[in-house]
Amino acid sequence: MAGRWRRLGRSESATGWMLVSPGAILIGIFGLLPVLMALRLSFQKSDLLTPDTPWVGTKNYRQLADDPRFAEAIQHTIVYTALFVPGTMLVGLLVAAALNRSVRFISVYRTAAYITMAVSTISEGIIFLWLTDKDYGLVNATLNTVGISSQPFLASTSQALYVIVAMTIWGWTGFAVIVYLAALQGVPAELHEAAAIDGARPFTRFRTITVPLLSPASLFLVVWLSINALQLFDEVYLTTRGGPLHATTVIVYYLWDQAFVQFNAGYAAAMAYVLFVVSVLFTAVQFRLARKYVHYS
Amino acid sequence: MIKRQTAWMAAAATVAALALAGCGGGGDSTSGGKTKVVVWDGYEDAQGKNLTALIAQYNKEHPDVEVTQLVSSSDRVLQKVLTAVRGGSPPDVAYMFGSWAPNIAKIPQVVDMSSYVKQPDWKWDDFYEGERQAATVGDKIVGVPALVDNLAIVYNKKLFQEAGVAPPTPDWTWDDFRAAAKKLTDPSKKQYGWLIPADGTEDTVWHFDAMLWEAGGDILNSDNTKAAFDSAAGVEALTMLQDMAVTDKSLYLDTTNANGTKLMNSGKIGMLVTGPWDLSSLPDIDYGVQVMPSFADSDAGHQTIAGPDNWVVFDNGSARKQAAVDFVRWLTAADQVRTTSLASGDLPIRESVGSEASFRRQLDQNLSGSSTFVENLSNVKKARPSVEQYPAISEAMGQAIVAVLLGKAQPAQALADAAQTTNDALSGG
Repeated sequence: MAGRWRRLGRSESATGWMLVSPGAILIGIFGLLPVLMALRLSFQKSDLLTPDTPWVGTKNYRQLADDPRFAEAIQHTIVYTALFVPGTMLVGLLVAAALNRSVRFISVYRTAAYITMAVSTISEGIIFLWLTDKDYGLVNATLNTVGISSQPFLASTSQALYVIVAMTIWGWTGFAVIVYLAALQGVPAELHEAAAIDGARPFTRFRTITVPLLSPASLFLVVWLSINALQLFDEVYLTTRGGPLHATTVIVYYLWDQAFVQFNAGYAAAMAYVLFVVSVLFTAVQFRLARKYVHYS
Repeated sequence: MIKRQTAWMAAAATVAALALAGCGGGGDSTSGGKTKVVVWDGYEDAQGKNLTALIAQYNKEHPDVEVTQLVSSSDRVLQKVLTAVRGGSPPDVAYMFGSWAPNIAKIPQVVDMSSYVKQPDWKWDDFYEGERQAATVGDKIVGVPALVDNLAIVYNKKLFQEAGVAPPTPDWTWDDFRAAAKKLTDPSKKQYGWLIPADGTEDTVWHFDAMLWEAGGDILNSDNTKAAFDSAAGVEALTMLQDMAVTDKSLYLDTTNANGTKLMNSGKIGMLVTGPWDLSSLPDIDYGVQVMPSFADSDAGHQTIAGPDNWVVFDNGSARKQAAVDFVRWLTAADQVRTTSLASGDLPIRESVGSEASFRRQLDQNLSGSSTFVENLSNVKKARPSVEQYPAISEAMGQAIVAVLLGKAQPAQALADAAQTTNDALSGG
């Protein structure tokens, strides 16, 4: 311990701290401070309108425990995350594997795969609204031509959440492709050659050589995509507004609704804190599991 | 209420709002000897140009005042104002939805206009009754009418002709409306008689509110302590919606509330119940406008609902406050109301302007059907209750309506459940 403090005193680390301080101070003010203020808010009753914010102790948290709509929102968030994260990774891996070769115009294909990341969420939302429209959408028109009857999609309480899963997988695929593509370039060709000489077929080589060597990239994607999935908001706001009948109300949408539509800011802050703790635990579990399954060489 | 556009917004968590509250200091009360008045509004296109021109005119005529404008989506202005109030730098004037009035009334920096508007030069009584009601919360007047609209039937003349249905008349009942919608519906052409926003937001609810009042019902009881929409009238109104959505399938449910005007303009929908703001989005069809139908067994007649929005003044020190109040008085005076209305197609917010025959002719020339909406202002007989629990009530009613429309609930039960939620909210649960 003493050694570490001495090291800190060295001029090199002092310079280091000076270099990071502008960023660190900004993050402190705009990141950390609001986090602490939100913690205080979660123990208060506040409508954001009046300066009067009485302390209510743990009431907001206790109320959360009995709120069926919060339970529903958690359930939707879990279903969404459980489908979105592996879905995006699987599609991303397949597309990346397909793009990891030298054919003509490969950079065109790679750009095409990544371009979904450059599409704004608003455009994405509007495109999917029209694609999946129950009467006039392209998806139903296509289904009809192969003899499948029209589906209500976003207008259905049982289908809407899955449409949002599909829509966000589409939107995030480019991200997963880039990460996997970079990792694939790092898989040594000689391992494949050696396995091929030993008689391993392409699929076996992919499963036993490529996939394990991609595990650091996979860990990064699991953590990153999960954190984003738990915070799903934009796509829901733009398409279903949490409906029909709350079928797509996920935690952050419900939080926003409570804070800015219903004016229960303290309650919403408590919700944000539950989500925060869950996200931290979730990430910790993922890193723990990673020790067993992630290979760095 | 102006049409809530498919608003764009990033995740606006509480944390983010509070983070922003840290920025921004108090503004100077004067700049170069001029008193500053900062106006926040969401006006774009024709509305925006008109307001910008009026502000320029005001600045020219008042060299001691400098009015500046910050334009951002009206949907989000409440969030922004809340943040700015917390940070100690609210605007001087903001355009705010009328349905927020009870909540706005609780913001300490909001100026109570009641002592100002009593002065004769304001001609307060010249604002339509519904507008004045929407700006009043208890003994406070939280804003000055900025915009008013109402709901009426907008119908596609060609589709009526093709289906062999006589166009809507001022004597239509909801049974006539339903029968017409049924005939206008043609599954093979994917054509529907009517389209309703069914996202369960206030946009869904206010369509129902007008029907509820026409059936003789009310949202809350007379002293705003209990739900009243779960009455026989409420069930009648919601059953009418159910008959069209579930039985006849003549009602297109716009569950994402994004398609209405586009589908209407594409000739897929026979009728919309909507306000004057949509007229300019229907350039491709020949449309007519008619007042809403009535219920045959009710003596409440033809009604509608107005969604008046307000200019809300904030107190940034006495000099700026006075300048802001003066500006709002000028902006809402008859001459400026006439100019605004003719330039933007908005309905006039003053009765004296709305009753000028030449003005109404001119308005119709600019945008066909507008004068019917002006006349329809006299069918505004009731307003939504001014209670701060209104967001929770609206939410409960919205879910009940959507549940029935989707065939997941029966009207009486759905309204009873929503009434329970409403009563809990009103009793401070």
